[in-house]
Amino acid sequence: MTSSIATTSPNTRVTEVAPLQRLRQALNNALRGKPQVIEYVLASLLARGHVLLEDKPGLGKTTLAKALAAAIGGRFARVQCTPDLLPGDITGFSIFNQKTREFEFQPGPVFADVLLVDEINRTTPRTQSALLEAMAERQVTVDNVRYPLSETFFVLATQNPIEHHGTYPLPEAQLDRFAMKLSIGYPDRQSQRAMLAAAISVCNCQVEVAEQVLSLEQLHRLQEQTSRVVVAPLIQDYLIDLAERTRTHPRISLGLSPRGLLLWQRIAQAWAFLQERTFVTPDDILAVARPVLSVRLIIETAPETVLHELLSSVPIPVYSD
Amino acid sequence: MVPETSPLLRRTTFVLMAIVYAAVEVASDPDGRPSSFGICFGIVAFLVAALVSYLVPVPTRTVRLPIFVTLCLALLLVAPVLIEPLIRYLTDNGLPLELQMVNGLRILGVGLTALAIWPLCLRLAGVVSLFLILFVAAMGDQKPIPWFLAAYAVVGSLWLMLAYSSRLQASMQATVTTPTAQPTACLRLRFPWWEMSVLLIVLGGALSLTVIGPKRVVWRLGEWLPTSGGTGAVDLFARSGIGDGPEEIAGDNARAAGMVETDKMIEDNKNALIDLVNDMYGPPHRPPQEQERMVAGGKADIISFHGKLPENRRPSRDFDTSRKGPSQRDKKLESLRARALFEVEGQTPLHVRVVVYESYDGVNARWLEGRKPSLRFLEATGGDWMRVSHIRETAGWYWEKERHRFKVAELKTNLVPTPALLTAFRINKVDRPDYYDWDYEGVLVLAGRKTTPPGVVITTECQTLDYCRLPSHAFLQSARGDAMAPLLVRVPESIRPALQAIAEEWAGDQPAGWPQIEAILKRLRQDFTLDWTVAVPADHPAPVMWFLTESYRGPDYLFASAATLLLRCMGYPTRLCLGYYADPQAYDPATAHTPVRAADLHFWPEVLLRDGQWLVLEPTPGYDVLGPRLPWSERLRLAWLTVWDWSRRNTWLLATVAFSSAAVIARRRSIIDTLAVWRWLWFPKRSWQKVVLECLRLLERRCRWAGCGRLPHQTLSAWGTRLCRSTPGDVSLLTLVRLSEWAAYASGLPPPIPPDQIQATCRQTLRSWTLRHLQRLSRETSYQ
Repeated sequence: MTSSIATTSPNTRVTEVAPLQRLRQALNNALRGKPQVIEYVLASLLARGHVLLEDKPGLGKTTLAKALAAAIGGRFARVQCTPDLLPGDITGFSIFNQKTREFEFQPGPVFADVLLVDEINRTTPRTQSALLEAMAERQVTVDNVRYPLSETFFVLATQNPIEHHGTYPLPEAQLDRFAMKLSIGYPDRQSQRAMLAAAISVCNCQVEVAEQVLSLEQLHRLQEQTSRVVVAPLIQDYLIDLAERTRTHPRISLGLSPRGLLLWQRIAQAWAFLQERTFVTPDDILAVARPVLSVRLIIETAPETVLHELLSSVPIPVYSD
Repeated sequence: MVPETSPLLRRTTFVLMAIVYAAVEVASDPDGRPSSFGICFGIVAFLVAALVSYLVPVPTRTVRLPIFVTLCLALLLVAPVLIEPLIRYLTDNGLPLELQMVNGLRILGVGLTALAIWPLCLRLAGVVSLFLILFVAAMGDQKPIPWFLAAYAVVGSLWLMLAYSSRLQASMQATVTTPTAQPTACLRLRFPWWEMSVLLIVLGGALSLTVIGPKRVVWRLGEWLPTSGGTGAVDLFARSGIGDGPEEIAGDNARAAGMVETDKMIEDNKNALIDLVNDMYGPPHRPPQEQERMVAGGKADIISFHGKLPENRRPSRDFDTSRKGPSQRDKKLESLRARALFEVEGQTPLHVRVVVYESYDGVNARWLEGRKPSLRFLEATGGDWMRVSHIRETAGWYWEKERHRFKVAELKTNLVPTPALLTAFRINKVDRPDYYDWDYEGVLVLAGRKTTPPGVVITTECQTLDYCRLPSHAFLQSARGDAMAPLLVRVPESIRPALQAIAEEWAGDQPAGWPQIEAILKRLRQDFTLDWTVAVPADHPAPVMWFLTESYRGPDYLFASAATLLLRCMGYPTRLCLGYYADPQAYDPATAHTPVRAADLHFWPEVLLRDGQWLVLEPTPGYDVLGPRLPWSERLRLAWLTVWDWSRRNTWLLATVAFSSAAVIARRRSIIDTLAVWRWLWFPKRSWQKVVLECLRLLERRCRWAGCGRLPHQTLSAWGTRLCRSTPGDVSLLTLVRLSEWAAYASGLPPPIPPDQIQATCRQTLRSWTLRHLQRLSRETSYQ
C-alpha cells in the first residue's frame, strides 16, 4: 500500500492529462533537446502569460512559436520589428471602403492566437507600447473602438542580446507584462545529430509544421483548470516574503511589483498543473522563480548569485503553527 | 530591523546621554564635589560612546542585534555590582546598592548609545536616559541639578522630534519594510535547553526548600540584600532610607527608626523583671527574707522616682540557683506570643545584658549582683555618637565592627539594650554623657528615667572577634600572676575542690587561653542537656554540683553557673550575666527585625579580656555567640566543607543520582524521542493533517539530531529525495513527504488516502527511520 502511494503519488487528480502530454510531445519534436524551455513555455501558456525569449539568432525561436500555434490549432502571426514599424502595423487600422462609404477595420497581426514579435527591441518605444494594452488586457483600441483579442492570445517576443546598435531597450513597464524571460541556448550534441538526420530528406527550407494536438477550446479548459490549482495561505505568505525580500535586498534596484507577484503565483499554479498536481508547493515557486524574476528585477551585479541568495534567505514553510 | 540612518538623531542621543551621565554623577555625589567633575564625566562618556560607535561596524543590511552584543550590554548593566566588592576591598570605600544599580544603568545607557545604529538600542537609550533623569530629579538636591533638567528637557524634546521624523521617513519608504521571517514556518526543532534549565532551577529550588527548610533559605537569600538585616547583612555604605542612616522616621513599624511621641511614655505596672525570672525559672525554694535590705537611694532618685525605684534598680536582685522550676508552662507559652520587648536589626545571635552577677554565695547557693561603676566612661565623639571611653581599642584580635539597631517596644525598665563588646552607641540626638548611666559594667541605662520610652532606637557599634583565633595573652589568668579583682575568681571553698577537679579533668591538658575555656564549654554543650523543667532538690546544698555530678541536665542558669565557677577554678576572671538573647531563629523576614521577648531571658557567663572587654561565652546547648562576618573565601570554604561532608554521608545516593543522570544525559535524545512518539500515539490529533505534520516534525528532529536534517531553504521533496537515495528500497519516507506536502499545502482538499492508512503510513515511517538508523546513514553518507 505504502509503496503504491509513493510511486503513483497521491496527487493524480488532474484531468485531461493526455492532451497536455500530446502538446508537450509536439513541442519537443519541434524544438529538440530543450524540454525545460518547453515546460516553461507551456506553463506560461497555461497561466495566460507572455514569454520574452532572449537569445542568439537561429536557435529555434520562430520554430517554437510556429509549432505552438500549429499544435493548439490557432492562428499564428509574426511581426518582424524594425525602427519604421508603426503601432497600426500591429494593432490594425481603419480604411475607407469606397463601396460602403464607411471606414472598415482591418485587424492587425495582434488578432492571432500566437503572436511572434521578432526582435522586439528593434522597434520604437511607441510601437512597443502598442503591445501593452494587448498583452495586459487582451484587447486593442483603434479609433476609440475596443476590439477583444483571442481568449488564448499568447505573445512570444524575442530579442537579440548581442547587437545593441539601433535598438530600443524595453522599458520596465513593458517588461513587467511578460510572465517570464527565457533563454533557449544551443542544443546538445545528440539533439543536433537528430536534427541533422531529420533534415536529410527534406528538400525545401520550410520548417516542418507540427500537427494540431488540441483545440483552442481544450486549451481554454486547461487554462481554467490551471487557475483553480490550490495555493495555500502558507504558500502565499512564502511568496509575499520572497517579494518583500526582493524589495529590501541591497543589490536589487527594482523589486517585485504586485503584478509580478500575481504572475508568479499563476505561473506556479501552471507549473504544479504540469506536474499533475492540484496544489502548489514551494518546489513550484522555486522552479519558476528564476525566469519569472529575471524579467522584472533590476539586479545590479551577479544576478545568478543574488537570485540564489534571495531564494535561500526565506525558509521553506511547512508548519503553520 | 534596519539600521538607523539618521546621523543627527544618533548624535542627539550622544548629547542626551552625556547630559544624563553628568547629572547622575552630580546627583549621586554625597561629598558635594564641584559640578565640573560631573560635566567632565559626561564629556568622557560622550567621547567613549562616540569612539565605540566609530569602531562598531555599521550593518549593511537588515540584521538583528547580535547575541554577543546583547550579552555585552547585560554585562555592562551588572558590571558595577560585580566590581563593587573589589573596590571596597582595595579602597575601603563603597557605594550603596541603589547607586550601584544606577551606575549599571548609566553604563548600559552609554553602551546603548554607542550602538545606536540599531534602532532598538537607540530607543532603549532614550528610555534609560529618561529613567536616569527621573532618578536625578528625585534624588538630587544640588544646585546644578535644575540646569541639567532643563538641558535634558531641551535636548530630549529635540530627540523626540528627530526620532518621530526618522520613523516617519522610514514608514514612507516602502523599502524599509522589514521582511517577516517566519519562525513558525520552518520549525526547526531543538533541544529545549531553556525550558530544561528553568525546570532544573525549579526542581532544585523545591529540593533545597525541602531539605534546608524555607526559613533558612529565606535567611540566606536575605543575606544577599545588604540592608535586610537580621541575619547579619547590613550594608555599611548604605546612605539613607528607612532604617538606614540618620534620616529616621517615627512610627510603630519595626522598620521605622526614631523617637515617637512622648505621650507613649506612660508607666504601667505590668510584669517586672523579677516576675519574669520567677516565671521562667520558678521561685526560689526558700524565700530569702534576710536578703530584703534597705538600700539608700540618692536624693535625686528619691525626688525623681517619688520614692519608688524602677525594677532593675530595686534591691535584692540576687539570683538563687536553687529553684523549684517553672510550675505553669502555659505562662511561658503566653509570654512567647507576647509583644517583643525590643527589636533588633542586624546580625544575630546577640546577648543583651540586664543584670550582672559577680560573686557566688556558696552558703545560700546564690549569685550576688555586681557593683555599679563609679565613673560614666562615656564621651561624645560628634555625629550624636557616644563612645565607651574606658575600652582600649589597641587590641589586635578584633575583626571589623558590627552595627545593630535596637528599637524599644515595651521595656519596663530604663535599660538601654546594647550588645557585648560595645564601643559606641547613638540615640537620636542625645549626645550628653550625663543622660546615661551604667547599672553594672556593660549594662547601660537611661539616667534619671524609670523606663526607656517605647520607640526609642539605639544604634550600636560593637566589636567582633573570632574566638578560635584569640591569643592566649588576650585572657587574664591568676595562675600567671595577672592582676585582677579577686572577686571575679572567687569560688566558695565548700565546692572548690570538687570543681577544681572537674575543671582539671576537662581542660587541664589544654594550653592556657581559649583552648582551656573552649574545652570546658564544649564539654558542657556536648555532655549536658538543656532541660527547663528540671528543678534542683530543695535540700541539696550545692545546686551546681548537683547539676555537674548527678542530673547532667538543667536550665540555662545551671549551665552558666557551672561554666562560671569552673572557669574561675582555672583562674579566669569570670562573671555571670542575666539578659536577653536575640535568637536568629526568631528573625522575622517581614519586618527584617529579630524580636526579643520576655521569654528570651537567658543566663550566660562572661570572661574578662586583657583590654577590659567582657567576652560572652555560651555553655548552653542551642545558644550561640555573635561571630565575625566571614569573608567570602571563608564562606565558600565552609560551604564547600559542608557539601563535602554531606556528600561523604550520602555517597550511595550521590552515586546513584550521578549514574542515572549520566545515563539520562547520554540517552537524552532517545528518551525525548520516545516520549514524543508516545505523545503522538496516545494523544490523537484533531485532523489528519495534524497527524501527518506532527509525524513529520518528529522525523525532522530525528534527522537533525543525526546530522541529516532539512536545511531551512530546502523543500520537503528535495530533502526526502536526497535522504531516500541512500535507502532505495524504503519508500516510506518519500510517502510521508508526499502526504506532508498534501497536508501542508493542499488546504481544503480531501486526503489522498483513507485516514486509517495515513496513520499506518506514519507509524511505518517512524518505525523504519529510527534515530539509530539515521545516525548510521549520516555516518556513511555525507549530507552537508
